[in-house]
Amino acid sequence: MPLLIVLALDLSSSKPAPGEGPPFFAAIINNGIFVPVAAIGALSFFLLPLVAAMAGAFPLAGEAEMGTMKTWMSRPVGRAGVLFSKWGVAILYVVVGMALVGIGGLLAGWLVFGIHPLATLSGTTIGIGAGLERIVLANLLILIALLCTISLALFVSTLTDSSLTAAISAMVLFVVLTILNGFSYFDFMKPYTFTSYNLAFTNLFREPIYWQPIRNALLVYGVTVAGLLAVSWLIFRRKDILT
Amino acid sequence: MADHKQPPASTPPGVCRGRLAEESAGGADSPAPRACDDRPVVLSTHGLTKRFGKLVAVDHLDLAVCRGDVFGFLGPNGAGKTTTIRMIFGLIFPTSGYAEVAGHRVPGERVAALRHLGGFVEVPAFYPNMSARRNLRLIGSAGGDASEGRITEVLDTVGLLTRGDSRVGGYSHGMKQRLGIANALLNSPDVIILDEPTSGLDPQGMKDVRELVRELGKVGTTVFLSSHLLHEIEQVCNRAVIINRGRTVVEGPVATLRPRDEAVKVMTGDQQKAFETARALFGAQGVSWDEGYLVVRAGDEGVPELVRRLVADGVAVRAVVPAVEQGLEEFFLGLTQSSDADGGRGEPAGRRARQPCAAWAASSSRSSFNGAPTSAGRVCWPCRC
Ligand SMILES: Nc1ncnc2c1ncn2[C@@H]1O[C@H](COP(=O)(O)OP(=O)(O)OP(=O)(O)O)[C@@H](O)[C@H]1O
Ligand SMILES: [Mg+2]
Repeated sequence: MPLLIVLALDLSSSKPAPGEGPPFFAAIINNGIFVPVAAIGALSFFLLPLVAAMAGAFPLAGEAEMGTMKTWMSRPVGRAGVLFSKWGVAILYVVVGMALVGIGGLLAGWLVFGIHPLATLSGTTIGIGAGLERIVLANLLILIALLCTISLALFVSTLTDSSLTAAISAMVLFVVLTILNGFSYFDFMKPYTFTSYNLAFTNLFREPIYWQPIRNALLVYGVTVAGLLAVSWLIFRRKDILT
Repeated sequence: MADHKQPPASTPPGVCRGRLAEESAGGADSPAPRACDDRPVVLSTHGLTKRFGKLVAVDHLDLAVCRGDVFGFLGPNGAGKTTTIRMIFGLIFPTSGYAEVAGHRVPGERVAALRHLGGFVEVPAFYPNMSARRNLRLIGSAGGDASEGRITEVLDTVGLLTRGDSRVGGYSHGMKQRLGIANALLNSPDVIILDEPTSGLDPQGMKDVRELVRELGKVGTTVFLSSHLLHEIEQVCNRAVIINRGRTVVEGPVATLRPRDEAVKVMTGDQQKAFETARALFGAQGVSWDEGYLVVRAGDEGVPELVRRLVADGVAVRAVVPAVEQGLEEFFLGLTQSSDADGGRGEPAGRRARQPCAAWAASSSRSSFNGAPTSAGRVCWPCRC
């Protein structure tokens, strides 16, 4: 992950994008505080979901792959405990990854571009403290978005005993949803798919914060995660543990 | 030997106590078979059944293991041993029926039951990149506590103390098997279930594991040991059940599981004359040939008489050896093959169970066979009577 940040930063700083480009990339050259935002925003489209898919798939299916699942399940531990602790472990992986991106990005941005009060998308300027607060909020929102992918991977790994299959399936589902979101024909399902709220975090950088799309995103994320966890639990509680 | 005509349920001393499936078979709510006398039943299954699609891997299995038993769970490949053990551990769910460990039902009260249970299913699995000690610490702490002292103790018990700090990934098959046993012992459970613990071990490893199991039995630990080797079960167990195609074929104290083979192989200076002598004594049924040896089903009391007679007739007796090996294999094969041959699972239970007996009797044509239908319509299994 640290390597990826450096790479992402290298790319973004060597290409001071004019005008549009990915959100916040253009702003970086004026203010290093945007580096973590731009980095996490860019990563949240593909790399972070990939990490989340792997993190969500490995703890459960990897255990089955190694044959240690039956060793655990022969111990007096509840199945719910096993399932949800695996979910927790997956979240931990992703949080650590995101923290590395955020802190690394902030440090690099500070060293290269310096940190200044931050200009919001609405044109006004907010202080550094308030700006960092927004950045933390943005990271939280993206983490919650990633919970969807983690839960998706956990769900798939209750169906298969191969961690690679689980991770790839979860990733494929994620990509398919993302692609479908790109076609106007499938606009009807857009409000219900968690993948269509990728940019909701940008609303945190308006002044005042534009909560409406964020609330919508959180609602969809919450329902998605709850649904996936419920289905995972229903499958796992009756699953035949053979390995 | 005379056939026993009494129903075995009365079990007078010295009479066959090996029991056939029907005597203990019952519905899902049948009480545990009363096999323990005054000892409590610590592990039992009640009408335990598992289907995989059309295949019935375990078929209304009723077992009762008493405290302090070293219980043999015997059957050929695919008999349903592992499937049964998985259900006892709550790893898979029975189609019907349930298991009970120390009063807790599985799957209903799985976690409570597992507090009294240790062991492994098939090949024990650990984290290959961690040391044995770390594995035990990690796994032992799940739902129990594993002190360093206890870890050292169990590693010592299985003879892994010197290798306890090396990677499990570098362990040989036998060492992993031992580590599996160490893990089973770790939380001092009431019942230990070992699924073919000697499979894939070299003779020394087998001997070690068997000795270990015997030691466990001596200190009063209840052990449930699956195997497909009858002689292994005979060496270490006090009670056993033989299953085939998910069904009980025969169960009881190990001594009663198979007939004591009264047959002896005789080698003399004049085999033809000896044959005449033996036939005069035991009848044509009691005498046969095996690679130049005369096989005489003489019975315990018959052997001295036979030798006396041979000597009196001037036949030089070179060797009299028990024909036990052959009897064992024959017996086990006879049991499992004939319960295979019946195939039809819908047949009345009585007929199905009588068949192995008859087939075995026919194939071995031994005069000492005492597995005759009892007055209750059941079969008293050939045994030490
Ligand atoms: N998960 C499964 N899916 C389908 N069939 C299964 C499954 N597990 C076991 N079986 C079938 O159930 C039967 C019993 O298998 P089981 O593993 O219990 O035998 P076993 O007595 O342990 O044999 P072995 O001595 O070879 O270990 C076999 O016919 C097997 O093919
Ligand atoms: Mg097996």
